[in-house]
Amino acid sequence: MKNNIIKIVMIGAIASTAIVQSGCKKDFTNPNAATDEQVFSSAKGLTGVVVGLQRVYTLGRGSTLYNLVTINGLTTNELIVVNTGNTAEVQLAAGGTAVDGNHTMLTTFWTTCNKVVFDADKVIANAKTLADKNYASGLIAYASIFKALSIGNMAQFWSRTPDGTGTNVNFIDRVDGFKRAITIIDEALAAITANPISASFIANVPAGIDIINTLNALKARYSLYAGLYPQALATANLVDLAKKSTFNFDPVALNPFFEVATSTNNVVQPKDSTLGLLVPLQPSLTDGRVPFYTSINASIAPRYRINGFGNAAATAFPVYLPGEMTLIKAECYARATVPDLVNGNLELNKVVAKTNDPFGVNANQPPVAAATQADLLDQIYKHRCIELFMSGQKLEDMRRFGRPNAERKRNLMPFPLRERDNNPNTPADPPF
Amino acid sequence: MNQLQRLWLGKCKAISLVFLLQLLVIAASAQIKISGKVTGADGKGIASASVQIKSTTAGTVTDADGMYTLNANLKPGNYVIEFSGVGFKSFSQTVKVTSDATYTVNAQLGEDVMRMDEVVVTGVSAGTTRKQLGSYISTVKSDQLTKGATGNVLAALQGKTAGAQIIQNSGDPGGGISVRLRGISSVNSSSEPLYIVDGVIVNNATTRVTNTSGNYDGGGFVGTIGQNRMADINPADIDRIEVLNGAAAAAIYGSRANAGVVQIFTKRGSTGAPVVSFSTSVQVNQLRKSVPVNQSPTKFGGPTDGAGAQTQDILTPALTNKTNVTRYDYNDYIFRTGIGTDNNVSVAGGKDKTKYYTSASYFKNEGIIKNTDFRRFSFRMNLDQALSDKVSFNIGLNFINSLSNEKPDGNSFFSPMNSINIIGNFHDLFTRDIFGNIKAIGERGRVNPVSVIEDIKQRQETNRIIASTGLKIKPFKGLTLDYTMGIDQYGQKGTTFIPPFAYNVSDGFFGGGPALDPTRNGYASAGNYNFFQINNEINATYQTKVTNDISSTSQVGYSVQYEKSGYTLLQSRGLSPFAQTATAGSTIIPGVDQRGELSVSGYYFQQNFNYKSLLYVTGAIRVDGSSVFGENQRNQKYLKASGSYIVSEHEFWKNMSLSKVWNFAKLRVAYGESGNLTGIGAYDRFNTYSSNSFVSRTALTSSSTLANTNVKPERQNELEFGIDLGFFNSRLNIQTNIYNKKVDDLLINRFIAPTTGFSSLLDNFGSLENKGFEIVVNGKPIQNKNFNWSVTGIYNHNRNKAVKIGQALTLLATNAGAPVAIIEGQPIGVFYGAFFAVDPSGNLVKNTVGYPQGERGIQTGPTTFTVQRDPATGLPITTFPLIRKVIGDPNPDYTASLVNEFTYRKASMRIQLDAVQGVEVFNADWRTRQGVGNGKEAEKEQTGVYPRGYINSFYATVEQWRIDDGSFVKLREISLSYAFGNFKKIKDITLSVSGRNLISWDNYKGYDPEVNAGGQSTILRGIDFGAVPIPKTYSVGLSAKF
Repeated sequence: MKNNIIKIVMIGAIASTAIVQSGCKKDFTNPNAATDEQVFSSAKGLTGVVVGLQRVYTLGRGSTLYNLVTINGLTTNELIVVNTGNTAEVQLAAGGTAVDGNHTMLTTFWTTCNKVVFDADKVIANAKTLADKNYASGLIAYASIFKALSIGNMAQFWSRTPDGTGTNVNFIDRVDGFKRAITIIDEALAAITANPISASFIANVPAGIDIINTLNALKARYSLYAGLYPQALATANLVDLAKKSTFNFDPVALNPFFEVATSTNNVVQPKDSTLGLLVPLQPSLTDGRVPFYTSINASIAPRYRINGFGNAAATAFPVYLPGEMTLIKAECYARATVPDLVNGNLELNKVVAKTNDPFGVNANQPPVAAATQADLLDQIYKHRCIELFMSGQKLEDMRRFGRPNAERKRNLMPFPLRERDNNPNTPADPPF
Repeated sequence: MNQLQRLWLGKCKAISLVFLLQLLVIAASAQIKISGKVTGADGKGIASASVQIKSTTAGTVTDADGMYTLNANLKPGNYVIEFSGVGFKSFSQTVKVTSDATYTVNAQLGEDVMRMDEVVVTGVSAGTTRKQLGSYISTVKSDQLTKGATGNVLAALQGKTAGAQIIQNSGDPGGGISVRLRGISSVNSSSEPLYIVDGVIVNNATTRVTNTSGNYDGGGFVGTIGQNRMADINPADIDRIEVLNGAAAAAIYGSRANAGVVQIFTKRGSTGAPVVSFSTSVQVNQLRKSVPVNQSPTKFGGPTDGAGAQTQDILTPALTNKTNVTRYDYNDYIFRTGIGTDNNVSVAGGKDKTKYYTSASYFKNEGIIKNTDFRRFSFRMNLDQALSDKVSFNIGLNFINSLSNEKPDGNSFFSPMNSINIIGNFHDLFTRDIFGNIKAIGERGRVNPVSVIEDIKQRQETNRIIASTGLKIKPFKGLTLDYTMGIDQYGQKGTTFIPPFAYNVSDGFFGGGPALDPTRNGYASAGNYNFFQINNEINATYQTKVTNDISSTSQVGYSVQYEKSGYTLLQSRGLSPFAQTATAGSTIIPGVDQRGELSVSGYYFQQNFNYKSLLYVTGAIRVDGSSVFGENQRNQKYLKASGSYIVSEHEFWKNMSLSKVWNFAKLRVAYGESGNLTGIGAYDRFNTYSSNSFVSRTALTSSSTLANTNVKPERQNELEFGIDLGFFNSRLNIQTNIYNKKVDDLLINRFIAPTTGFSSLLDNFGSLENKGFEIVVNGKPIQNKNFNWSVTGIYNHNRNKAVKIGQALTLLATNAGAPVAIIEGQPIGVFYGAFFAVDPSGNLVKNTVGYPQGERGIQTGPTTFTVQRDPATGLPITTFPLIRKVIGDPNPDYTASLVNEFTYRKASMRIQLDAVQGVEVFNADWRTRQGVGNGKEAEKEQTGVYPRGYINSFYATVEQWRIDDGSFVKLREISLSYAFGNFKKIKDITLSVSGRNLISWDNYKGYDPEVNAGGQSTILRGIDFGAVPIPKTYSVGLSAKF
């Protein structure tokens, strides 16, 4: 018996030992993707990431851009839902309590905004270590554009914005969010001033974005939203209104509005030729911007269709419109400590009578003459709504211009439950 | 270590010496021949019964008529010959070897209903009898697999093994089938068991090579749809299938056994004259049940087609005018009667030291959807060759070519089912324009079902080789060494051709819009998936007697597996009208090139002691490592222990008078651990940036999932108790299992705060519990010369629950719109959403207009809330949001099967009922039919039974409306066969008629409650969204032998 047990144990032990010796290969490299370390240690990798920021920001139904425009458009009556099967869109169109923390579009929007901030931070930090400072300033500036836009976008929809990225982040007031965006832009502008962007950087990112004009335009926009009128006016004056700055698309990477809505006629379309405005602010029947932004289909419902910057597969989408800059100037004059109605009217009428817009957004209307500050602000609001149709700015405008809650479906958005469930610092939801 | 190696080398020399000595001994003995016939209780020969001379290496198996011949070198003396066969009790007979050269030993084996003496091969070379097992392992024999009118081995297994829920997820002829053993065992990865065919790990992946573009399903979460590759295995080649439900049984398989193991053994040859077996059958497939369609003579709003068309009137409550319409039933158009045929020829035989089994098979089956089919060619060769008394080897080769003509799958709106589901039934599909082209359907750019059926061509083809080779050495008494190498290699190719549409089809469905944009209209793709896997196993088994009463079996083994896969996709749109290839389009859509490789290796040691055939104790340890996990988590250790105590073997029991009635009692307990070393993708532990072309530049995009390099593999531990009882000389048998199967370090791709920069984190969170029991009862109420009646009942009860996953709610957005959730303390995959307000008697609360109301209030937790109702009207207060709860569960309360078999003289009949009860289905299609106006609820609104706007008032908001009762009892299989016996040289002529899924007793509002749009997905279950219903099948077959 003893012998047998010894025999069993011996055979077992010996065989096991022999087996352990002959392991097999267990470390395979991933040919499909690059690792964090590889990406952030080279100019090439960092360039890929900034192009990736633009891709996340602009491509497809999950993009920040699509959700910004659609959420804003449905909330402010610019858009209607074509098919009730689009649950998230229907909830926005219903507004109020129908929009809650589970809302899929708000969750996607919140997620892409934070994703862009997260990756932009890594690019900005790692670009500073590159030897080629002129290339680095391009990386910093390009990443800063998307970071500033993402923070600014969140501040337009939510009462408070995240104070950076990470675990259990704190939140800051939305106005401070706009100011944060301005700081980011200022740092980017400073980097460019110190080391002008090299031509090789420009060649490595998609054509379309005019970096310096865009930085100034966004600074002007967020200065206005933060109530920093003199700064908004000064910065808007720095923007070259003859230049275009666009998010470009091609037959492979499609314009998201065309891809999701225009081509399918199954998701959203413009409300109608009023562009969602009520009397007395509705656009005039001769306003050139109505046919610019909407087209008419006489045989297939709905009658009014997306045109403008969502009309075709490869239509470029403006990062900002020259008209926005002009209207910022008008508003800054109107809201100055001592309202300057003369210059306010003057700037406003540049938009009202415009016939030479680089994008073709030409109202071509007789000038207006607003007699009071209130009148002027009403006119500025009206023309912002028309000029900046489907650009995602209207909800912010409705609040700033004191439009009644009844005109919109929600005032501010509830925080996504994905954030609330996982971050104890998530602020309370607004009642409306 | 060096010392051990020297010892090992020393031992090798010693073994060689022993080997030599053995050869000398052989030379001294005399060559004798033992032959005879092994029969059953009915006197018929038993094929493939094992005949073994105890304490020697001599053995063989019987031929098709039960005859055997055994040549052995034996010294004179007494020898015990053991006879055993699948389904029979083993039997021993002593033979005295003298100076004679030939002996005749016949044996009659009693039927073993509980199959306690059946040999089961639990991951080791030698196998053990079921009597010795501490865990439950079920065996399904070939004759049970081939009566059910199906060409798919997994479908054939439905209802035949305890603890398994086998679901055919699609009624397509090559449709996917999922197998869940004791519930799901993972959340992140597949929950399909490990499949082993003749020792070769066989890939059962579901890889889409068609339906690959995001346009098919919006790029949303769709699950795991399509064919799974077990479709390649020909059921006619199978001798038997063993099913190991959980870690308690499968621990020896270690790292890949978390979801259980299914072992398939194919037929092998036996010594004797060649036997040619032939079988042929013809199947007829039909739609079992259609759905009623709207018969309202009017619709709301304007015309149905052409200028000013207004469809989806139900969802546009502003429309109140009415238009007269003609109603159609498009089901009549897309469905047809499909014909199929299954033909098998095999030749088996052997002489002296060579045995062979070869087969050829042609299977073709047409789907019930027009222009869909599946066909399979299969060739198999199994060869067993003895090189000497001590050394033998075998080779198995299986070549398969599977081809299917498909249609886009259910998750797209241009699948056959959804193309008729998303349109009102008031369009004349066949009107043509002056050029003879079919026309647009309404104004919404939907694809005309005629285009789907006639024009869209989708096809996939697989060429596959499964090869195995094995070497078995019995160097000396008690020791068996065997080595198996297996290769599974296949290439799967899919092509799609959607010709440019001649009418307005949405860009999202590969149309060119109203303007027929030539750069967008039409689509073609070519997808290729290549898979290669090799596994090597080496095992040693040593059997010996420790004392007279205690015998011991020791086993050691080592295995190494390596797999490599590659997937490429080419696609383009904007096709010219003639070219069908993926490069023919004017707009190239980004392609895919995805590669992976992984390896798993491990070793084990198992020790079993047997005391007087009364008590069996087994312990084992296995260590495994996988390349998928990081260095620190790579190697995992799994333990196993089991005991089996056969109380009825005691003398006192045998002497009891009770033993005449109660003749068998066995208690068993088993504990086992296993892991999921392929639970994440090959490189999923790394945080990576994927590279894409974007506006002619390179974009690097970070994943939405945060990875943890130190992530651990899931571990399962399962404890199982069982009692096996036999009564009335085993005419009535009861087997019960109670188990607690727990998966720890559960891998969940869980949501995290987006402010971290990621949407989810793939990491180990909490555990997954499956607790349940299984009861198997079989009996033979009537057993006499002419008439036999046997009954088998299986009852499975399983409760699945997520435990301590650390987050209250993970709500998944799915393509079908199903709100699938993972919630702490709830079963995985429940449906979670808003629900209707009801009064105390359960009736819907309606407002003054007559609209039902969603319940509103304050949500205090994922499953808790405070309802807010207006005290005056009893209506939910609309200023509060809708509240949510678990509204449905796709995990059944229980599943059960009942099989009755009758034999009267030469006729036999088999009836199998399968039940799945207490299960909910998310019936997305049913709701869609009401929304677009082709369903019966829409008819009620159009005819004024409901107030106008009724359906729209809750359509998008109250998910509960889509919850349907998925419970059913199906007449799964029924077969009638008659054995004509022999006619001249033709033997065993049998004619059979069978039916499959002929009747379903259910309250389901759709076609079939059994299908699942999520395919073989672990999480998405019970979703009805465009899935083709499972047909009812009739089959007539003839089989014979020569």
